[in-house]
Amino acid sequence: MPPHTPSPAARLAVAGDLLALLRDTTTEPRPDTQLEALTLAVAADLPVLLWGEPGIGKTAALTQLATALDLPLTTVIASVHEPSDFSGLPVVGDDPAGQGIPMAPPDWAVRLVRAGRGLLFLDELSTAPPAVQAALLRLVLERRIGALRLPPGVRIVAAANPRASAADGWELSPPLANRFVHLQWTHDPEVVVRGLGGTWPHAILPRLDPARLHGAVEFARRAVCRFLTARPPLVHRLPSGETRRGGPWPSPRSWEMTLHLIAFATAAGSSRDVLSLLVRGTVGDGPGLELLASLDRMDLPDPEALLADPARAELPERGDLRQAVLDAVVAAVRARPEKSRWDAAWALLARAVDTGTPDVVVVPATTLATLRRADWDVPATIDRLAPAMELSRRADRAAVAAGTGR
Amino acid sequence: MTAHPHRTAHPPRPPDPALDLDKLLAARLHAARVRPYLATALFALHVVASRHVPTMAVDRHWRCYVSPAFVDRMPVEELAGVWVHEVSHLLRDHHGRSDRVARARGLHGPAERLRMNIAADCEINDDVYGDGLPAPADVVLPHLLELPAGQLMEDYLRQFRLGPYTQGMAWLDCGSGADGREREWDLGPDGAHGLSEQERDAVRFRVARGITARPGDAPKGWRRWAEEAFHPPQPWRELLGAALRSAVSGAGAGDDYTYGRPARRSAGVPGVVLPSLRRTPPRVSVVIDTSGSVSDRELGSALLEVAAISRAVGGRRDMVTVVPCDAAAGEVHRLCRAEGIPLTGGGGTDLRTGFARALAARPRPDVVVVLTDGQTPWPDARPACRTVVGLFPRQRAGSPVDEDDPDYVPDTPPDWARVVTIDPGPGAR
Repeated sequence: MPPHTPSPAARLAVAGDLLALLRDTTTEPRPDTQLEALTLAVAADLPVLLWGEPGIGKTAALTQLATALDLPLTTVIASVHEPSDFSGLPVVGDDPAGQGIPMAPPDWAVRLVRAGRGLLFLDELSTAPPAVQAALLRLVLERRIGALRLPPGVRIVAAANPRASAADGWELSPPLANRFVHLQWTHDPEVVVRGLGGTWPHAILPRLDPARLHGAVEFARRAVCRFLTARPPLVHRLPSGETRRGGPWPSPRSWEMTLHLIAFATAAGSSRDVLSLLVRGTVGDGPGLELLASLDRMDLPDPEALLADPARAELPERGDLRQAVLDAVVAAVRARPEKSRWDAAWALLARAVDTGTPDVVVVPATTLATLRRADWDVPATIDRLAPAMELSRRADRAAVAAGTGR
Repeated sequence: MTAHPHRTAHPPRPPDPALDLDKLLAARLHAARVRPYLATALFALHVVASRHVPTMAVDRHWRCYVSPAFVDRMPVEELAGVWVHEVSHLLRDHHGRSDRVARARGLHGPAERLRMNIAADCEINDDVYGDGLPAPADVVLPHLLELPAGQLMEDYLRQFRLGPYTQGMAWLDCGSGADGREREWDLGPDGAHGLSEQERDAVRFRVARGITARPGDAPKGWRRWAEEAFHPPQPWRELLGAALRSAVSGAGAGDDYTYGRPARRSAGVPGVVLPSLRRTPPRVSVVIDTSGSVSDRELGSALLEVAAISRAVGGRRDMVTVVPCDAAAGEVHRLCRAEGIPLTGGGGTDLRTGFARALAARPRPDVVVVLTDGQTPWPDARPACRTVVGLFPRQRAGSPVDEDDPDYVPDTPPDWARVVTIDPGPGAR
């Protein structure tokens, strides 16, 4: 009996079985800040730009996102296209002078428009030549490709390699950079190992709570307007210096994007970490961090409300925030000095000593004492500050011992 | 301790010396008074009493683990120094930087993490002590390892091994907040009173902004930290490359699409007008400041970089020309004869003659790259081509002013030029 040799087709079928087994992976929900930020920005219909080293799984994340959102994924490698592929190819007809020259869109755009919905992924953006980037501006901002207009159901995500790893990259021009939410895409070794073991995380679409929509918009408007009223120079500031070129920067456009993102994050109940990624990716690190700090202050109790009812005041537990609140209370008394307010502030400080560490109370107490008017009697509550005063004396002695003579 | 219900120790303690919280807090108050710019960070730390900690240690979630016995035996003013020391590790993100170094250089294991802790201590300790905070007897300072002061943790890490010099430091343990290695006493990310990543950034940002707003209060090391905390300096090679690339690839230089001549693809699609990719090799002219203040090593590395980049963007070697310049400009040389370019000079600089000489060359350059230390007058008007300035920083260490003329302030490069600071120090790459 001759040895049985399987036909080439049968051998390929076995290879196919092996490939099917390898592809057989499951997913699990896993809290993932960057994936949540990406999903939220896509839900808010803002163009997202993922920055990450090659091979880090940007495309894989996009595939997952498309599955989670149930959108067909169209990938376009920007760097291998010509500007006319995005602005439309001029096609000369019979009567160019009379009918004009139409700009014909490429096939993928036609299919995308016909489907009415989808996720458009523009890969390798930073290695596209400047003219292609200029053509992409119109696609990203006006959602137009030649004569076609992308329907509202199409979301745009782009990816780029950072300058350090792009061998022949151009940097993004500031106008193009300003239109994106920039997300730094990093990989978590733990997730990769678990994924290679057969279980990848899957994106959970943030659930927008219908009952929170109005409140979210109101909160977002208040947050951004309050902040920009206090810091008008940040309304528009072109990136200066080489380090920040090609990245996010503050402009009226990116502030409006920020407003949308705050509203979406609020309505979805997302964590501050997610919001931090999104805001810093839209207006840049400095302005973003300042806005977040101002959001933190909005969370702190209002000094006037505290002064109105010191007995039931809820002070933040963290020492630095607590001191910020107490400083604000003392500043409020200084702004409108009245005996009753001064007494209420002492009651608040006493409450702070009762419920937390006494050292944070020392500086506000010292300042409050200097606000005393000649005809104001020292309230009885001041006795409760004794631990803080003792601490202060002890620190004074330490200062003497250390030779600073404070 | 009934006054502080949420500050009780974890887990139930046997009757060891109880933590003298008042002493610890008096020390924190003293620290906040002598270092007011760090007060926010100091008060953000959450105290956890722990018998397992040798002295005081922090984790990356801004908890501060304290040994009651250690508090017992230290005077308040020295405890204050330890507070500032520990919070410095967190502000300078030593755990994150340790993790990055560990990944990048493959440094694993407790011994390497101890080295990171020592290197981190070297970075911060010259700023921490003095001026109200007495230095403890066994404080780690760079000179104990025979290393220069004022460097970063990453730089120190390259320069020493564990050995006789570090014998006395083996007990050292500032916790996972200093070197990134988890400790058995750590409460982890889910434990109580930890700060989230965004909260940590917010605290660091508020401290940094406080320092930049009132720079007079803080020493130089902290001012530099505050400027760079959220904008770490990037390697100059990448920045110079990006600046040069964008200069040579802009309209009028380098390659771009044009309808000036139809593409060869046009033959296949009749009736369609296709643009074609045209390449005009960029001409780069490098003006080199050969005055005495720029070293040959710096010049050499920067010049090689320019040549490599212009080759990468499609220029040929003979498209790069070099103009040595001090008070007077030398001749224009082609880079293919770089070996023979006489970088003669010394004395003062006037780059205006160098600009004039470079722009007078025929054909004209597309881009002028200037390598200089900036101690020169600049042209009044914008030259007729793109300009990239590679600036060698001066007066960082040592005397901040010229001894002969303390009032002399050199002109900064004009704003029509793209300026890249070239720092060939050990931290540059």
